Amino acid sequence: MDISHLFEDLGLPVPVKRVLVINASDEVLRSISDRLSIGLSVEEMRRVRDHFKMEGREPFDIELEALGQAWSEHCCYKSSKYFMKRAFLGIHQDYFLIKGEDAGVVEFDDEHAYVVGLESHNHPSAIGPYGGAATGVGGIIRDVLCMGAQPIAVIDPLFFGPLDLGYQDLQEGVNHPKFIFNGVVAGIRDYGNRIGIPTVAGMVNFHQGYTGNPLVNVGCVGIGRKENMIHSRVGGSGEIYILAGGRTGRDGIHGVTFASADLTADSEEKDRGSVQMGDPITKEPLIHSCLEINEKGLLGGMKDLGGGGLSCVSGEMALAGGFGAVIRLDRIPLKEPGLSPWEIWVSESQERMMVSVRPENVEEVLHIFKKWDVEANVIGEVVEGKRVKVLWGEDVILDLDLDFFTAGPEYCRTYRSKIVERRVDDAPFPQPDRSGTEAAILRLLGSPNICSRERVFRTYDHEVRGRTVIKPAVGKPFTPGPSDAAVLKPLEGSDRGLAITADVNPYFCEIDPYRGTLSAMEESVRNLVSVGARPHSLADCLNFGNPERPDRLGDFEQSCEAIGKFASSFSIPVVSGNVSLYNESGISKVPPTPTIMMIGLMDDINHATTSDLKTPGNIIYLIGRTYHEMGGSAYYQEMGVNCSCVPDVDLEMSKRTMDAVLNLDGEFLLHSVHDLSEGGLGVAISEMCIGGHVGAELNIHEIGTHLISHGSKALRSDVKLFSESNSRYLVEVQPQDAARVEDGLSRSEVPYIKLGTSGGANLRITEREKVLMDIPVDILDHAWRMGLTELLEGSE
Amino acid sequence: MKVDEIKVCILRMEGTNCEQETYDAFKRLGASPEFVHLKQLEGRDTLDGERRSLQDFHILMFPGGFSAGDYIRAGAIFAARLKASVAGDLVRFIDEGKAIGGFCNGFQLMVELGILPAFDCTMAAQPQAVLHANDSGRFECRPTVLKHVNEGKCVWTSGSKKGELRYIPCAHAEGKFMLPHESQEKEDALYHRLFDEDRVVFQFSDPSGDTSAQYPFNPNGSRFNIAGITNDLGTVFGMMPHPERVFFRNTHPDWYRRRIGSEEGDGRAIFRSVLDYVVRKF
Repeated sequence: MDISHLFEDLGLPVPVKRVLVINASDEVLRSISDRLSIGLSVEEMRRVRDHFKMEGREPFDIELEALGQAWSEHCCYKSSKYFMKRAFLGIHQDYFLIKGEDAGVVEFDDEHAYVVGLESHNHPSAIGPYGGAATGVGGIIRDVLCMGAQPIAVIDPLFFGPLDLGYQDLQEGVNHPKFIFNGVVAGIRDYGNRIGIPTVAGMVNFHQGYTGNPLVNVGCVGIGRKENMIHSRVGGSGEIYILAGGRTGRDGIHGVTFASADLTADSEEKDRGSVQMGDPITKEPLIHSCLEINEKGLLGGMKDLGGGGLSCVSGEMALAGGFGAVIRLDRIPLKEPGLSPWEIWVSESQERMMVSVRPENVEEVLHIFKKWDVEANVIGEVVEGKRVKVLWGEDVILDLDLDFFTAGPEYCRTYRSKIVERRVDDAPFPQPDRSGTEAAILRLLGSPNICSRERVFRTYDHEVRGRTVIKPAVGKPFTPGPSDAAVLKPLEGSDRGLAITADVNPYFCEIDPYRGTLSAMEESVRNLVSVGARPHSLADCLNFGNPERPDRLGDFEQSCEAIGKFASSFSIPVVSGNVSLYNESGISKVPPTPTIMMIGLMDDINHATTSDLKTPGNIIYLIGRTYHEMGGSAYYQEMGVNCSCVPDVDLEMSKRTMDAVLNLDGEFLLHSVHDLSEGGLGVAISEMCIGGHVGAELNIHEIGTHLISHGSKALRSDVKLFSESNSRYLVEVQPQDAARVEDGLSRSEVPYIKLGTSGGANLRITEREKVLMDIPVDILDHAWRMGLTELLEGSE
Repeated sequence: MKVDEIKVCILRMEGTNCEQETYDAFKRLGASPEFVHLKQLEGRDTLDGERRSLQDFHILMFPGGFSAGDYIRAGAIFAARLKASVAGDLVRFIDEGKAIGGFCNGFQLMVELGILPAFDCTMAAQPQAVLHANDSGRFECRPTVLKHVNEGKCVWTSGSKKGELRYIPCAHAEGKFMLPHESQEKEDALYHRLFDEDRVVFQFSDPSGDTSAQYPFNPNGSRFNIAGITNDLGTVFGMMPHPERVFFRNTHPDWYRRRIGSEEGDGRAIFRSVLDYVVRKF
C-alpha cells in the first residue's frame, strides 16, 4: 500500500515529518508502524491515534518513534510484568533500600550499600558478538554507576550452541557457535579489562537451542556510601540537563524494537545498525567523573542512556521527579553530520550519561567532566508540568504528555503452562561395569558443560582493584579446581565480604520449567553457602521465547512462579532483573533460561571456604539426600536418555541444610565445601580432588538407604554417583571435629553420610566391596582441564 | 624525613585503572599518596590549585591499566604525552635520586618512555626494549611466582633477600620483555649486561625456584624469565606482575588452604622498601 502521502515534510532545516494518523484505518495504521519500523501493534497504534485526536493534532514522526521505543517489550515489559508482579516483585526486606530503578540498592553494612544490576544483550550478540557483548558490559556498568556506586565486579553468564556443530548443519543467516563464543569472550575481555572492573564470576553453557540465538547475560555489582546513593530522577524544576560521555551516532538505532522481535535469517543484514559500539576508554573516565561529581553533592539526579536512548531517559527522569523537560536536540554532539532528529532522539550510542544539576552547579560539573576529558554539554532543562518538549532551534518537534508517553501497555496474554508428569523409570541401559563407569566419569569431566572454564576466565582480569578474595579458580595455584562463587572484600578497613554467583541449568528448565527454576535458585544458594556466605539478594535475567506463543509464555509463567515461591520461602528479595523475550529464530528457540545471580554476605572473609581438598586423612561427608532424579542430568545426556524427572526442591530441607552448613562453617569445622550439581557426586568429588591435588577413598553403599526404609528400591550405583538431586554438599572435616559436625547436623535434622577419607593419589570409589572406579587424580585433572581447549582447537 | 611526609604521585590518565589499589598500598604504610591526572602536570584545563609539578613529590608511580586503551602499543600514548610535556622534569626527578615505579602498564610505559632499561643514560630518546605480545597470544590473568634475584641495587626490593620467592599475580597481554636483536651476539651481550649490572630484579620461576620454568610459570615467554628490572641507579623500577594486588595474604591464590588471610601479602615489601629508601635518603 502506498502511504507516502500520509507523511508531510514540515520544511524545517532538518527532516521532520507530520504523520497523518487521525483518520487512518487499522490497515493504514499497521503500514505506518511497519514503515517506521517501530514495532507497535494495530491495537497500540489505535491508542496513539485516539490520543492525538484528543490533543487535536497529527503527530510528528519523531513522536511516533519515541512511542515505539517507550512501548517496546524491552522498555515497558508489557508481556511479562503481570506475571512478575504476581510472583515475586512484592517480596520485601527492610535492607532493600531503593527498588524499581536502573539497579537495585541493598544495604551492605550500617554505612554502605551494594548495588546490583543484571541484563541481557542477546540479539546484538547474535549478530555482532564482539560489539554486542562489550556493550552489554558497558550498559550494566552504567546502570550500577548511575545509582552513585563504584562498580566492583562484572559477572557474565553466557549460553551458546555446541562448539563442535558441523558447518553443514548451520542454517543460513546463523553464525557458527565457535565464532560467536570467541567474539563474545573477546568482547567482554577487551571491554572489562580496559575499564578496570574485574570479571569475577559467570557461567558458560552449551545447548543446541542457543545455536540461532545465543544468550549474553551480564551482571554488575557496585558499592558506595548510603548517603551517596542517588535516584534516577530530577531534583526539581529549573535544573539543567547535562549530557556527558560519548557522542550520538547512528549505531544502536531501534535496538529495543530489534530486541523485541524474533531473529530472522536476514537480521544480520537488516539489523546491523541496531548493534551499538563500545568505547571503554570513554567509559573509564566517565565512571571517575560521575562518581566525583556525585560525591561532591552536585547532582539532582543521574541516569544512564540505555535502551531507547535520549527519548527514554529525558522523559523518565523528569516524570519520576514529578516534572517535565525541554530538550534542545540541536545541541546534542554528533558522531557524524546528517542524522535526522528522530535518529538522534532514539539512538542508543554508548557511553552516555544524563545528569540534572542546579544552575549554580553547572560550571563546576562541566569543569570536572572537562578535567577528565569527558565531553559534556547542557542540552535542556527541567520544567513544571508533566510534558516533554523537544526543540530544534525555536521549532517544537515533539510535545508529549509524559503520563501517556511512559505508560506503556500491559498485557496478560494467553499462556499454556507445561504440566510435567515426573516418571521415575529404570534406566534403559545396564549398569556399567568398572571400566564403563571410569569412562563415564572422564567423559563427564571433559564435557562442554562441566570442564574447566580456565580458558575463558584467564583472559578476563578477575583481580584488578585487588579485592577478589576467592577467585574463579581455587586450590593449588598452578593446578586449581573450580570455585563455587566469587568472594570480594569491597571496603578498606572492613573484612565484611560479598559473594556472587550466577546459575541456571537450561536442560532442567527445558524439561520442567518450574522445577528447573527452583533448581537454579537452589544451586545459587548452594554456591554461596559453599564459600561460607548467607544468601542476601538476587537478580534474575529471564530469557525466553516469543511471548505471543502460549507455550513460551507458559514456560515464563512457571519460571516466575518458581522464583516467587523460592524467594519468599527464603525471604530473599529480587532486587534487580531483566526480561528478554523473543529469543528464537527460524531454526530454534532457546530453552527457558531464567539466569539467577545471587549475592551473599559474610561477616568475615577470613572464614571463607573453598572446594579444594586440603589435607590427606580428613573425613568426607555427603550432606543431604540423593534421589532417583535423572531428568536432564549430565549423565543421562551423555548416555542419550530422556527422562522427565528433574530434581525437585524440598524448600524446608533446603533451608535447614543451608543453615546447618553455615553454622558449621562459622565454627571453622569445614575444611572444604563443594555443592553437588552437574555430574552429581562423581564430578563434585573429582573437582575437589583436582583442586587439592590429592585423592580420596569413598564408599557410597549407604547412599539412598532412606529410600529403602520408605519401601522404594535401592538406587543403582550409577544413580548414586551421578544423580543431581538438590540440597547436597560434600564437606571435608578433620577427624577430631567429626563428632561435633555429626552432632550439629543431627540436631538440625539434616541427613548425612560418612563417605570416606581424603588421601592418596587416586580417587577410588567403592560400593561395599565392589570397586566402581579407581583413577589417578592426574588423569581426572587432565580430562577436566583440557576439555574446553580440545573443543576449541581440536575439532577444526 | 618521616614516612608521612613522603609524597607519592599516583599518575593517571584515561584507562589507567590500578590506581586505587596502588594508592591504598602507600596509604596503609603511612605515606601521603595523591592521585594526579596527567593534565595536572601538563597544565591543561586546570583551575587554581589543581596544577601539579613533579618537584612536589618524592615517588612517582605509574599504575597498571590500559592507558588511552593501549590501542597503538601498550603505554605508547601515555609515554608520548609525558615526553612532550614533562621530559625535563622527569630527568631531574631521576637524577635527584627520587624513585619511580611502574607495574604492568606502568612498566610498559616506562620502557616506551626510555627510562628503563636506560642503558648509558637517564632517559633514552628511543625505547631500548619492548614488552611484546605474550607467546600464548592471550591475555593472561594468573598467579606467578617471582624469584628475587637482585643483589641489592634496587631500592624497591632492598627489604627482600636474594633468592626469596614471592607470589605476585600477573594480568597482561603484552609482557614479554625483549632487548634489541641486531645480532645474537649483541642481544646476548645486552642481557648479560643487565644481569652483570645487577639490574634484573625479578624472574618468573616455578614454586621450587627454577627460573627456567616455562608456561604457565613464565606467562609471557620473556627470555631468562625476566619479570622486572631497574635502572642503573636502582631507583627506577618496573615489573609486569601486580604487587599492589597482594598487599594482604587474603588476595593470594591459596591463602584459605592454611587460613592465613590476615597475614602480610607478598607484594607489601616492595612498597615498604621504597618508603624506607626515601626516609633514609631525604
